[in-house]
Amino acid sequence: MAQVSASPAAPAALSSHRLRRVRSRVPVWHLLWLLVAAIFFLLPIYSVVQFSLEGTLPGQGVFHWYETVFDDPMFRSTFWLSIQISLETVAVSLLLMVPTVFWIHLRLPRLRPVMDLITILPFVVPPIVLIVGLAPMLRKFSWLIVRPEVLALIYVVFALPFLYRALDAGLRAIDLRTLVEAAESLGSSIPGTLLRVILPNLRAAIIGGSLLTVAISMGEFTVASLLGFFTFPVYTYEIATSTAYEGVALSFISFIFVWAAMLALYLLGSGGRGAAGVAITD
Amino acid sequence: MSTVELRDLRRTFGSVVALDNLDLDIRSGEFVSMLGPSGCGKTTALRIVAGFEWPDSGAVIVDGQDVLGQPANKRNMGMVFQSYSLFPNMTAQQNVEFGLRVRKQSHERRAKRASELLDLVGLASAMSRYPRQLSGGQQQRVALARSLAIEPKVLLLDEPLSALDAKVRVQLREEVRRIQLELGITTLYVTHDQEEALSISDRVAVMSAGRVEQLGTPAQIYSGPRTAFVANFVGTMNKLEGVVMSSEDRVVSCGPIKVIVPDPTFIHAVGENVELYIRPEDVAIELLPVGGSPAPGYFEGRVTSLTFLGPVTRVGLRTDIGALLADVSSAVALNLAADAPVAVQLNASSLRSLDASPESQSAPVS
Ligand SMILES: Nc1ncnc2c1ncn2[C@@H]1O[C@H](COP(=O)(O)OP(=O)(O)O)[C@@H](O)[C@H]1O
Ligand SMILES: [Mg+2]
Repeated sequence: MAQVSASPAAPAALSSHRLRRVRSRVPVWHLLWLLVAAIFFLLPIYSVVQFSLEGTLPGQGVFHWYETVFDDPMFRSTFWLSIQISLETVAVSLLLMVPTVFWIHLRLPRLRPVMDLITILPFVVPPIVLIVGLAPMLRKFSWLIVRPEVLALIYVVFALPFLYRALDAGLRAIDLRTLVEAAESLGSSIPGTLLRVILPNLRAAIIGGSLLTVAISMGEFTVASLLGFFTFPVYTYEIATSTAYEGVALSFISFIFVWAAMLALYLLGSGGRGAAGVAITD
Repeated sequence: MSTVELRDLRRTFGSVVALDNLDLDIRSGEFVSMLGPSGCGKTTALRIVAGFEWPDSGAVIVDGQDVLGQPANKRNMGMVFQSYSLFPNMTAQQNVEFGLRVRKQSHERRAKRASELLDLVGLASAMSRYPRQLSGGQQQRVALARSLAIEPKVLLLDEPLSALDAKVRVQLREEVRRIQLELGITTLYVTHDQEEALSISDRVAVMSAGRVEQLGTPAQIYSGPRTAFVANFVGTMNKLEGVVMSSEDRVVSCGPIKVIVPDPTFIHAVGENVELYIRPEDVAIELLPVGGSPAPGYFEGRVTSLTFLGPVTRVGLRTDIGALLADVSSAVALNLAADAPVAVQLNASSLRSLDASPESQSAPVS
């Protein structure tokens, strides 16, 4: 019975001698490949930064376009609106999906293939088709459409496959039935078990799924624009079509925001794992 | 301390009969093992007692009360599972405290009880470790402590040691027994390992095909198996085929050898074919000098195999009455080699005849 948890400290334990040997075994073309990939991803970002620092008049600072963006009240209001919608999307998605996926895994495992299929649909059906299809319904509920929060309800559908897949993988990784039964035999109710035992063990999955949900709802343009809501992506588009420099500065800001959000969530996710694992044998 | 009665439990899964009118009584403070081959319904029975599974018919009576109407989380039964079941997000201490937290006990009481129990299972020093930092054996100890923390009426264990190394398994089973005796808790233990069941139980229920084949103390089960199934499943048995020569004197001839069955209830007509059983330790052998012939009461055999089992060596023999196994002290076995001629004697008082099964004719004999 040897259980070895992946230990981030392990590489440090290697002697420098062994490390050198490991490195010398990496073929040159691997590094070349890495370099090509890096250029492919980093070059556009570099150009974005480069471009956003240009086009200023004499006397204006290098960060002129960034200052302009931050000074624009529309920036703040649309950014805030999109964040709000994202958080609402995450909240609704989690409330809807966590208990559902938990229950399917626990009691209705035969439904899993069906869920796999259903949750693929938003991938397959493009947003534009979805909106055209939804239009009659949306017209019927036009009183509802006046509030931008309705976007959250639509984004829940868009984010469904990502969240479902993350939760599904998270639940597969634990011995759900045994954990639930162990908690039950100790007196815990099913909701109590979900809250105290299952959720903490799904933390990484929930965070990962939420992150994708935020990314999707922060960046969604088609539906927001079609329904006439002035969200951050719609605002970005409008700025970009009028002032190219400002638009590019704006898109770099959203880059930074997404990275920061990812980093924060990543740290949150790995924070609970405690110290490096210890290799144990009986 | 509580009594548990399984009454006429029947459970089917489609066409599979997992439990076939199973009856079992466990006295207060008693350690009873359900022993049987894989698929005989042990887990199903245990899960019905725990409340994770329901029978088609029958009753589970704890302290005189049928508990089948109660959900698992109201039954107050401690359960230790075959697979590792500790909550991965909690330390050993938090795991042990879980049931007390559900019962809304104060922080101090919980911590005190957790440290008592971790002490009891010998893991006081590991209380702040997470399950992944514990070995399999340690995890099962914590699981035991966790199930005992709620002061359950009954302790249920489903093959809790089957995933562990042989050595840890032996060590831990003795500890389970020590703790059970110390707390005097009524315990139902499931295993397919006959040595495990015999070594730690007050009584063993040998199960086959969804029913209890025989219930008795380990000594009763081992030396007085009532059916061929029990005889074969618990320990090793030699089977002899013979013909009844004298009904009154219970003389049976097995090929050229005549034996007398000691059991006075052995009543068979002359000429009837019967099966007799004898354990390897009741078969004695002596080395025959070259060209020598067996003394009276002995018959000749040849060594076919030698299996070292520690203090004894199991000797395979080819004889006139068929293949036999004999256990001899390993010191004596040093003088034996394959194909060596030996004189064989059956300890006649240990010969027994067994029905295929007292209630059913379906028990398999392998
Ligand atoms: N949930 C289930 N669905 C279908 N068959 C089952 C289920 N649980 C148990 N069985 C069947 O019932 C029989 C007894 O199983 P089990 O109680 O697990 O045996 P044991 O624990 O003695 O190995 C087996 O034939 C098994 O295949
Ligand atoms: Mg089982």
